Amino acid sequence: MIDIAIIGGGPAGQAAARQTLAAGLSTTMIDEQARPGGQILRQPPAAFAVKGWMAGRLYRPLRHLLAQTEADTRLDWRGSTSVAGIERIADHFRLTLSGAHGGTLLARRVLIAAGCYDMPVAMPGWTLPGVMSAGAVQTMLKSQQLVAGQPIVLLGSHPLLLVLAMQILDAGAEVAAVLMPQTYGRTMRAALPHLAGAMFAPSPLIAAGAAMARLRLAGVPLMMGARPIGFTGDGRLEAVDYAWRGRTHRIAAQVAAVSYGFLPQSDLPRQVGAAVRWARPAGGWETLCDGAMRSSVPGLYVAGETTGVAGADAAMAEGEIAGIAIALDAGAQPASDMARAQARRARLQPFIDLLRAVADPRDVWPQATPETLLCRCEDISVAQVEATMARLSPMADASAVKHRCRIGMGLCQGRSCEHALVRRIAAAQGCDPDAVAPFRVRFPARPLTVDEIIG
Amino acid sequence: MSRIVDGVTRPAPITVEIDGAMIPAHPGETLAAAMVATEIYRMRDDRSGAPRGLLCNMGTCSECFVWIAMEDGWRRRRACLTPVEDGLRIATHEVPL
Amino acid sequence: MTHEVLIIGGGLLGCAAAWHLARAGLAPRLIEARGINAGASGQNAGSLHFQIERRFLEPGGTAHAQGGDIVRLNRLAIEEWAGLEDQLGRPLDIHMHGGLMLAENEADLALLSLKVARENELGLPTQLLSGAEARDLVPRLAPHICGAAWLAQEGHANPRILADAFADAAKSSGASIETQSRLLDLRRDGDHWQATIEQSGQIATARARHVILATGHWTARIAARMGLNIPLYLAPLMMSVTDRTAPFLPYLIQHVGKRLSMKQTDDGNMVIGGGWASAPQKMADGLPDLDAPPHLVPDNLRANLAVAAGVMPCLRGRSLIRSWTGMTCISADQLPIVGEVPAAPGLHVAAGGSMFTLGPLLARMLARSIIERAMPEEIALFSAARFAHLNAFVVPS
Repeated sequence: MIDIAIIGGGPAGQAAARQTLAAGLSTTMIDEQARPGGQILRQPPAAFAVKGWMAGRLYRPLRHLLAQTEADTRLDWRGSTSVAGIERIADHFRLTLSGAHGGTLLARRVLIAAGCYDMPVAMPGWTLPGVMSAGAVQTMLKSQQLVAGQPIVLLGSHPLLLVLAMQILDAGAEVAAVLMPQTYGRTMRAALPHLAGAMFAPSPLIAAGAAMARLRLAGVPLMMGARPIGFTGDGRLEAVDYAWRGRTHRIAAQVAAVSYGFLPQSDLPRQVGAAVRWARPAGGWETLCDGAMRSSVPGLYVAGETTGVAGADAAMAEGEIAGIAIALDAGAQPASDMARAQARRARLQPFIDLLRAVADPRDVWPQATPETLLCRCEDISVAQVEATMARLSPMADASAVKHRCRIGMGLCQGRSCEHALVRRIAAAQGCDPDAVAPFRVRFPARPLTVDEIIG
Repeated sequence: MSRIVDGVTRPAPITVEIDGAMIPAHPGETLAAAMVATEIYRMRDDRSGAPRGLLCNMGTCSECFVWIAMEDGWRRRRACLTPVEDGLRIATHEVPL
Repeated sequence: MTHEVLIIGGGLLGCAAAWHLARAGLAPRLIEARGINAGASGQNAGSLHFQIERRFLEPGGTAHAQGGDIVRLNRLAIEEWAGLEDQLGRPLDIHMHGGLMLAENEADLALLSLKVARENELGLPTQLLSGAEARDLVPRLAPHICGAAWLAQEGHANPRILADAFADAAKSSGASIETQSRLLDLRRDGDHWQATIEQSGQIATARARHVILATGHWTARIAARMGLNIPLYLAPLMMSVTDRTAPFLPYLIQHVGKRLSMKQTDDGNMVIGGGWASAPQKMADGLPDLDAPPHLVPDNLRANLAVAAGVMPCLRGRSLIRSWTGMTCISADQLPIVGEVPAAPGLHVAAGGSMFTLGPLLARMLARSIIERAMPEEIALFSAARFAHLNAFVVPS
């Protein structure tokens, strides 16, 4: 039995581990990637040598933390391992693992710092090979050191696209276009109320400004107010359709990188019964916690994007808070001061609010057609879902729809479609998405083969 | 070639077998990366027979499940989390037993 | 508002009973606390199993004597299922292509031959197959499978869509079906029952001559609130499903000596169960929480999958995509309890085991008992009267 299992090797998990290790707690860190870093610092394979990897100034604190993590021999690092199950037994937890370190792990406390994932957004043609999340394209660049394809079109409402465009240029490749559905005017109006507060943490703003200037210089068309319509191609992506200044346009693409925001990873907290709420504004479920990152389940802590998508700086701060709390709750001495860590997290909030307001996808969603698949695993279309909802009583919850038309019953357990289904149910019932009961999260959180379970 | 060459040193390439065809890959790469680098974007077919490819590249979406040959049969694994190794054989369709 | 029949519970039993009663012109009213099919009716593994259980084989036991009645009921249930898609006028993924109960060793095989002999004597046409014959039917069975009992009428159906079909048919025949309607209180009022019901925040009362508690594992607790003892005990279970694969198993698979049920759905997924326990969540006072989904018990999941992969080794390579839990209940003597509760005239129950396989038939029988005001003799052995002694000291409130 170990003192603390940290699920997720990103900034939150690493910052927590600094504290728990300093406090002398036996600490195991589990991540699906082979090396720590999380998605933000997704490392190249150990067998690669990459000059000047992620050298940007913005990444400096993250790189510093990562170096500390990798140098710390007290940390029990278990990479290439998925957590399929988590349950609370009496006063401890049992994790069911698969992959390189498969089996079970008993821990007195658990920190879920599992990050977030690109929100899958259903639109015509989005199942064509070549249509990827922006995160997929970005992690291919950061880690695998490859450009996913050329020409490449970036589209969606999230400013991450600007960063990605710059990274593609840095890799010596070209960006065919960046299509963002919100107009400059809307962006400014959304940002305005948050600007003053966000100036306490201005560096990402400066970076965004620099990115826009850089794109202009490189001749990359950055089209604000260009609404993506859909993807076309014969067996794979060939072109992106979008509406721009009242007309429909088509642009050739081998790869499209889509970003309308991010959803917190919520399967493990929900599987173990932690209280969650609908995340605002982008959706998904964020795990509730107190000021010390304690979830509603005794002994279970959460930090980083799991508690609501807020970026790497917030994740680091929350990880530190969680680590301090875990050490204190275990009767040990953490390395840092709780109040200072909490103040650091609080200072970031205005910038987080600004980013959320600017990236808010709710009035710029692309339109799915009746034939568009909502559930990518079971191939359930919008029309099938709508017909099922219409047959059910107006009070239907997500599970009732799932049971009748199979939406969410496939390999991904609904991670791609559940948020969209809940939005549709809420819209049909005229209620808040938070009032719609989501799927019951089931074991396993990641598919595993029968022989992995029975040995 | 979509692999970044400037400033990146990779181990000498090996080959992996995908649906009977050999493609090059560098040790350390994920299967998904090796496929994308070879412009193989299709990783499976959906129920209608339409091709599907990588979506999230972080183990979450389940779009990149492929069949990997093991000693005692084929197993489904996520291409984005599977490192290539010499002799790796994969299929993008289920292999009948 | 006064009804002839008020049905509590919108699962398979309640919806099917509503349909039969509605067709007889009784215009029943059904209330369901959550949504249609939200409980065990939609959570079970969908087996249609008609071979008899081993306890009916033990010579001299009470169960032995009941074997004949059980077989007779199973044969009626077979007819019931065979006609359902026609009667309800829609596809229900009902497949009755046969079922195999497997033997893995000599002891299993001895038990199987005894069972087949007894079943044949009682009129159930099971056949004893050799291991080779079983593998002819299902080539992927393990080479050590040494025999199987085959019944051509067994199979499986889709538990996620059946209750809806009954509910829709009931509505078309004049039943009123109300979801999100929770029973708060039920009490005797002269020769009627008075129910207090909460519907979207509003509280209303309803009177009915007959009340059917089609409330699955909640039945004992609801009855207890009225001071009635119905010996039904919680049975929290778990089931699992793998990814889809090309069709190869049109049959139901069971095991004579181990807990196993296995089938391939229309979509190609393998559903694996067989009566393995899950663990109920507990309320503050330590009693099981009847409204919360039970927790998975990993050791039982492992054991269940090990039994399945033991008889069908190719399962080892399949991906498990979901395990789920649900709650049902068993009665004190493991036979369902169906019909009027003697201490509470007009109050009918239907719960306690095999309620998917027998559900459509028992709902028809229960409806008939209300329409004809007499218990059909085919289900006499399920009568609540056999537990009348438990209510000898009860003053119904």
